[in-house]
Amino acid sequence: MKVPYSWLKDFVNLDGITPEYLADKLVKAGFEVEEIIPLNDSYRNIVVGRICSIQPHPNATKLLICDIDVGTDHRQIVTGAHNIKEGDYVPVCLHGARLPDGKEIFSGELRGVRSDGMLCGGSELGLDDSDYPGAGFDGIFILDDRCPAGTDINVYIDTLDTILDVSVTANRPDTNSILGIAREVAAVLDRPLQMPVRADWQEQGAIEELITVHIDDTELCPRYMLKGLTNLKIQPSPDVIRRRLRKVGIRPINNVVDATNYVLTEIGQPMHAFDYAKIGGQTIVVRRANEGEHLVTLDGKDSALTSDNLVICDANAPMGLAGIMGGLDSGVHADTQTILLESARFKRDNIRRSSKALGIRSDSSARFEKGIDFLSQELAIERCCSLLVEQGCADVIGGVVDCFDGEIKNTVLSVPVAKINSILGISIPGDQMVSLLNRLELKTTVEEETLLVEIPAFREDIVGANDLAEEIIRLYGYDGLVSTPLDGMNQTHGGRTLHATWRSRIKAVLSGACGYSEMISYSFISPRYWDVMRLPADDLRRNTINLLNPLGEELSVMRTTLFPSMMRIASGNLSKGNKSFSLYEVGKIYLPHAELPSEEVEMLMMSCAGAEKDFYSLKAALDLVAARLHLSFRYTASAHPFLHPGRQANVMLGDICLGYIGEVHPTCAAECKINDRIQVAEINLEILIENARAFVPYVPVPKYPAIMRDLAFVVERKITGDEILAQCRASAGALLAECHIFDVYEGAGIPDGHKSVAISLSFRDLQRTLSDAEVNPAIDKIIAEMQTTLGGVLR
Amino acid sequence: MLALINQIVDKCLAAIQEASSTQQLADIRVRFLGKSGEYTSILRGMKDVPPAEKPQMGKHINEGRERIEQALAAKESECKAAELAARLEAESIDVTLTKDLPFGSTHPVTLVLDQIIDIFVGLGFRAVEGREIESDYYNFQLMNIPLDHPARDMQDTFYVTENTLLRTHTSPMQAHTMQEEKPPIRIVVPGKVYRADDDATHSPVFHQIEGLVVDKGISLAHLKGTLDAAARALFSAETKTRFRPSYFPFTEPSVEVDCSCPLCGGKGCRLCKGTGWIEILGAGVVNPQVLINCGIDPNEYSGIAFGMGIERIAMIKYGVPDIRSLYENDVRFLKQYC
Repeated sequence: MKVPYSWLKDFVNLDGITPEYLADKLVKAGFEVEEIIPLNDSYRNIVVGRICSIQPHPNATKLLICDIDVGTDHRQIVTGAHNIKEGDYVPVCLHGARLPDGKEIFSGELRGVRSDGMLCGGSELGLDDSDYPGAGFDGIFILDDRCPAGTDINVYIDTLDTILDVSVTANRPDTNSILGIAREVAAVLDRPLQMPVRADWQEQGAIEELITVHIDDTELCPRYMLKGLTNLKIQPSPDVIRRRLRKVGIRPINNVVDATNYVLTEIGQPMHAFDYAKIGGQTIVVRRANEGEHLVTLDGKDSALTSDNLVICDANAPMGLAGIMGGLDSGVHADTQTILLESARFKRDNIRRSSKALGIRSDSSARFEKGIDFLSQELAIERCCSLLVEQGCADVIGGVVDCFDGEIKNTVLSVPVAKINSILGISIPGDQMVSLLNRLELKTTVEEETLLVEIPAFREDIVGANDLAEEIIRLYGYDGLVSTPLDGMNQTHGGRTLHATWRSRIKAVLSGACGYSEMISYSFISPRYWDVMRLPADDLRRNTINLLNPLGEELSVMRTTLFPSMMRIASGNLSKGNKSFSLYEVGKIYLPHAELPSEEVEMLMMSCAGAEKDFYSLKAALDLVAARLHLSFRYTASAHPFLHPGRQANVMLGDICLGYIGEVHPTCAAECKINDRIQVAEINLEILIENARAFVPYVPVPKYPAIMRDLAFVVERKITGDEILAQCRASAGALLAECHIFDVYEGAGIPDGHKSVAISLSFRDLQRTLSDAEVNPAIDKIIAEMQTTLGGVLR
Repeated sequence: MLALINQIVDKCLAAIQEASSTQQLADIRVRFLGKSGEYTSILRGMKDVPPAEKPQMGKHINEGRERIEQALAAKESECKAAELAARLEAESIDVTLTKDLPFGSTHPVTLVLDQIIDIFVGLGFRAVEGREIESDYYNFQLMNIPLDHPARDMQDTFYVTENTLLRTHTSPMQAHTMQEEKPPIRIVVPGKVYRADDDATHSPVFHQIEGLVVDKGISLAHLKGTLDAAARALFSAETKTRFRPSYFPFTEPSVEVDCSCPLCGGKGCRLCKGTGWIEILGAGVVNPQVLINCGIDPNEYSGIAFGMGIERIAMIKYGVPDIRSLYENDVRFLKQYC
């Protein structure tokens, strides 16, 4: 909310108060000052000049050489504009001048003639005809003679002012006005607030004879006031009103429209002026629109209405959308004689919904959405009449229409001083609370250590002790709070959940020993990935939770697998030249669920790519995670369509399938803009953690040495390592302590379709040292049975 | 014979003197002292020595052998030292060369979250997590934000259905906890939250950590004490906090909390835009209406709550200028955090 310092001064004495000081005070009282804007900063080194003489330019017919009186001395300035004559007052940019658009002007030469600056037009000063007559002309802006030559242009165009851009919180709609901010300013400075002065006027006639008002829906329109003005002279507003509107970003139109905008800004009450001549049947009805009823609003938009929209109608048809925008024809025209000024309270929610549904917004609807109190309607009517009467451009019609069932009554809160102090954890004496609250126009007394606070109608936000506590502390100052630790209370035992503890341990292994980098990605993805992954039509992963209002198609469905997120990040990295990476993410997937909003499952996604990073690198990392949890995974055949058919597996924990591991199918990778080999794995972290073991039962460390033997078998290519090792264990008997494959070889010396698998076996007895003679039968048995079961031939 | 002994000893000592390696010394040992070594051969002459002289001669022989052994040992240790020095010299390597070991990293958001959780766990808070897809009822209504409340404009919400949404804050977990547990309650709730906003300082997905204390006699001063302790732990022992009045529907009074700028210590710098203060979180005394909504009697209990954006803290702590780099996950960026 833009608050001109000069406007504020109408209501509070700001003598000796700088804008910076005031801004600081407001911030401490809960009003964020986003920006302090000194308006004159936009106009540097620009003065009023008087043209003393005009000479033709010797080298250019289109240019003129002017001798300009700039107060202290004269300047020679060359100009291309021809709307000037000797004796005119004009804005002059001197050497080093700066215009609102940031342009700087320096002395120079134009076609061989020295020019000590520039004469400027209204648009260059950011002005148009609505600011000053003639300012919009395409040429030099001719000033009137109210300021002598040499006067700073800021004086002439009234920009020796500062705007405070104040941000108002949602609970304080009453401060969305100059007067509302002034009330806070008066409170923080502890100075009196001067309310706007009502003009004196004679009323003629009676409004009841002109109009009948019927409120059909008092819930949506709890108060509706009308005041009549006649003998109108529609003309531009006085300078001061136009300038003030400009400063808050409103374009001046004419005296009537300006007056309603002025009141909206100053009092915070939106108003609408109806041209009386256009009200059919001398009747105004405030009702819900009929379904399908049409209205063309001021912005030219034709809307089909519903019964959720409140409309202001005459005897025949809607004239305007209540609180949002008038109809195209209902407004004030140059020949309007009589107007009815509407000042109403409409239900906040309804305005908000209608405005949103119809896509029509205005200053008025924006204001109504924030909430209007019951005091503003009358105040606004008086203020608006005063403004127009003071201009001598209207007569006031007697009486006022006021459709209001309720009664404006201040509620009284009774709150013990001790309650306030206990909320704040402070000891402020009751008397001091009284004086703080009174500064805010909350009439307060204290009786028997209990505050009695009269809440005015404009403070609908104050309903209880906590609200009063806030009012008190924000004026008292938060610096008065004593930092108090949470002790002496019931002690609680803190800590993480078991799941979070395990998750941290798993992350520590991945980020540590495995050398993986943790990433975090968006939870929503593009649905196009289901086709990229070549998922069949009935794949459950296609069954997603979808956003109604996504930021875009790319971010529109909640992920049911982390694979797409990983592909996006991997592709981004590869495209930036990060050819080698190991990444993981711990994140949720979101599954539609009949009763709950959704089922959310935490997953672990891993991926690696780059030289020497193959399937086995990723598998090794995954196995390390399992080992950290004292578990081990099995890898079984799988057929995931997005993975390389010959390089993939399901990751099994016992008989539970936790997920998959594999190399991404080259077609799928290519559609993700990845041309490199890339490995991925995704497993259900929740099931994994449920099965995690903090430790395993004690196993004694062997005392006696093992006997090591290596064997190599030639087997068919399709025989897996797991099968070979299982066969070894089955054949060897109890003495075999460990066995693992240390080499697999294909090529010269090995028949086609076969491979040589080298196995290291270690035999051990926990009670004694074994002899070769005891191991040999086991070796013989392994060799024999490898032949019979798997067709393996000792190499 | 005595002359012969001396002659061989001298010859041997000369050879030892000339030797320059342990290998040569070993050769010398064999040549003189081996089974058929030159010196050993002298023993064969003993049979010709008259018996009366034998003891004396034996003594000479032994003395000679002793001298050889001593010389050998001395020279040997000299050669060993020289050979070791030569080997070490030869083995010197270029220490600036490297061998790659994989090193991983932890996302800065995780680092900050873990640090903050640790701080509050130390203060007796329990860290709990909640669902991300929430009902309007928990996300807004129980938090004192009824339908059409203007405060809904403060948070651009992603909706899944009319009544289901992506949580806009971690606050729904306040309601779940209060409904399920009796005071005293001290929890922090870390997690992902969502708002339809995307620019250099806003991400549509970001992380928050929420704190809630409900007990008898909890006041705004306790909020100050708790956040002072947390800010000191998070930034430095000198960090101060400052409360500014603000508005949140779920707290009353509500405050924005600034901490003294961790970069300049409050003197004013680019990070704090010259103010000396950095806004880090929103907080307040739990609005009694929220307690009522969640089944807690506000006449008996009161509470304090706070919520902070983790990305913002991470950006301040690590000097990251654009929030989007936290979600691009460029490995060169990620590797900076371990």
